[in-house]
Amino acid sequence: MSRGVYGRVFSRWAVIVWLLLTLLPAVPFMSKFYLLLAFDALLFGTIAMSLDLLMGYTGLVSFGHAAFFGLGAYASAVLLERGIVSLWACLLFAILVVGLYALVVSFFATARRGIYFALLTLIFAEVVYTFFRYTQTFGGSDGIQGVAAPRLIGDFAIDTPLRNYYLVLVYLGLAYLACRVLVTSHFGRVLVAIRENEDRARFLGYDVQRYKMAICMISALLTGLGGALYPGRSAFATPDLMLWTVSGEFIIMVMIGGLGTLAGPVVGGAFFVLLQEKVSSYVDWYFIVIGLVLIFIVLFMPRGLLGLRELLGGRRWRTTA
Amino acid sequence: MDYLVAVLLPQLLHGLVFGAALGLLALGLTVIFGLLGVMNFAHGELYMLGAYAGIAVIGVTHSFWAALLVGPLAVGAIGALTEVTTLRPLYRREPLYGLILTFGLALVFREGARQIWGGDMRRIMPPFAGSTPLLGMTYPNYRLFLLAASSAILLAIWLFFTRTRAGILVRAAVQDAEMLDGLGVNVPRVFTLTFAGSAALAALAGLLLAPIFTVYPQMGVEMILLAFIVVILGGMGSMGGSVIAAFVIGLAQSLLTLWMNPQRVAIAIFAIMIVILIVRPRGFFGREGVLE
Repeated sequence: MSRGVYGRVFSRWAVIVWLLLTLLPAVPFMSKFYLLLAFDALLFGTIAMSLDLLMGYTGLVSFGHAAFFGLGAYASAVLLERGIVSLWACLLFAILVVGLYALVVSFFATARRGIYFALLTLIFAEVVYTFFRYTQTFGGSDGIQGVAAPRLIGDFAIDTPLRNYYLVLVYLGLAYLACRVLVTSHFGRVLVAIRENEDRARFLGYDVQRYKMAICMISALLTGLGGALYPGRSAFATPDLMLWTVSGEFIIMVMIGGLGTLAGPVVGGAFFVLLQEKVSSYVDWYFIVIGLVLIFIVLFMPRGLLGLRELLGGRRWRTTA
Repeated sequence: MDYLVAVLLPQLLHGLVFGAALGLLALGLTVIFGLLGVMNFAHGELYMLGAYAGIAVIGVTHSFWAALLVGPLAVGAIGALTEVTTLRPLYRREPLYGLILTFGLALVFREGARQIWGGDMRRIMPPFAGSTPLLGMTYPNYRLFLLAASSAILLAIWLFFTRTRAGILVRAAVQDAEMLDGLGVNVPRVFTLTFAGSAALAALAGLLLAPIFTVYPQMGVEMILLAFIVVILGGMGSMGGSVIAAFVIGLAQSLLTLWMNPQRVAIAIFAIMIVILIVRPRGFFGREGVLE
């Protein structure tokens, strides 16, 4: 680790890619439609990255991340609907709501290992889904529609695709920074130790459950923040955002990108969003294509898209911190 | 007394009927879970394909009974083909990959069904109408048949697993596939046939339930969640536990609807599930250390 703290946390490539992304709206033919597509790609990429903290680094598969995402979206939409249009208020409220829910989920789920963790997160998420799906206060199955755009400061509303794009880019940058700091820290090393051998980590004196709870909360909050940005772009929050199949899609994004790489799931999420968009504009059976892509990746590229680098002769991607 | 006969008894029977069919679905899931260590996400789609295969066969032959025979066989064949081509290469990999793979398979099957048969709701007519007087009330004949048929199949499966060499081989593979391989058994063939059998069972459940439910491409998504709950409740990998849990969930669901609206029932069942996972994480009959 001779590269110092800066080199340890940031790869030069990440900074370059992020800077290039800030120039994306300047590309000719960048219509509003493509900017919103880029918004989705980066938003879901970032969410996949925060799920990677659990899946790739700690070895916990959460099948309930859609609930964190959806709760964040609802928290923000509820405020916007009631005329509280400050972005900061929306984000704070999302942190509060998602945080409280994640506290309960992670407390119970991290007490169990393996498949039981996955199923507990899944069932908790289904409770949240069913609640919003049938509660008329929150619009039932229609959700909350047509909310106002959030304001950054004063009257500066984030109401154009361009402003939304830069907002999500900031979110991606900060989340990536947070994740990198996390996984390169001592805390991150303990998580990897838990993934590799939970019992041994416990024998070394680490309070394993507390570590798992902490990373669960962090991952949930990052996902919830992403959810809070969503109504600003779409003007709605619906229960379908937290369907368990959405959680499955998040997992797919991580797998496509490559487990335990952080950058990989961002690529995977963006790839998934773009694939869905591209294929669905040509054929209406795009789920078949997505399913086949998924099967192909599992069978032939289990290390994800970033695993391709090895085939292409690149340096071996560091799969752990 | 009127309340008992007019309200409680039919609801109790509904619960048993649903529980028996759910048992068929969960049993296949549990066996695959024991073999591959994977929650088969495509199981709900095999259930859905069973109902559609039934519709296709009925369209040609106009016979529910022919469908009941051909449908599950066809889906079983699809299952075998799927297992050989996609799941077999994953045996030695982490279970996570199998999970993702079955998720992909589920997408393909669901969308495939929508492309072939369209997205709208369909119905299968029950093969016989009418109802039978029973304990002071009348109960639809088809539901009685459903209960009898599902119970008979469950019994047959139990006999298969306890009395036949093939059944014992499958149970041995669930216990320790490597050891079985060492003893000279063709384990991949056991896996393929078991997967086909589990697919056929799911299809059978889908077809049997189709006359009382509706048939649409998404029908598996909701059922599979309930089947997961049944499998956990019964204890991962415990077949008897799954069947008992299926009846418990079936009864709980239909009895709770007497006092709550369906949404609350769904939440109540999830809540029961969460409490059980916390207090007794291995379910009714789960053994320690299975896939943790």
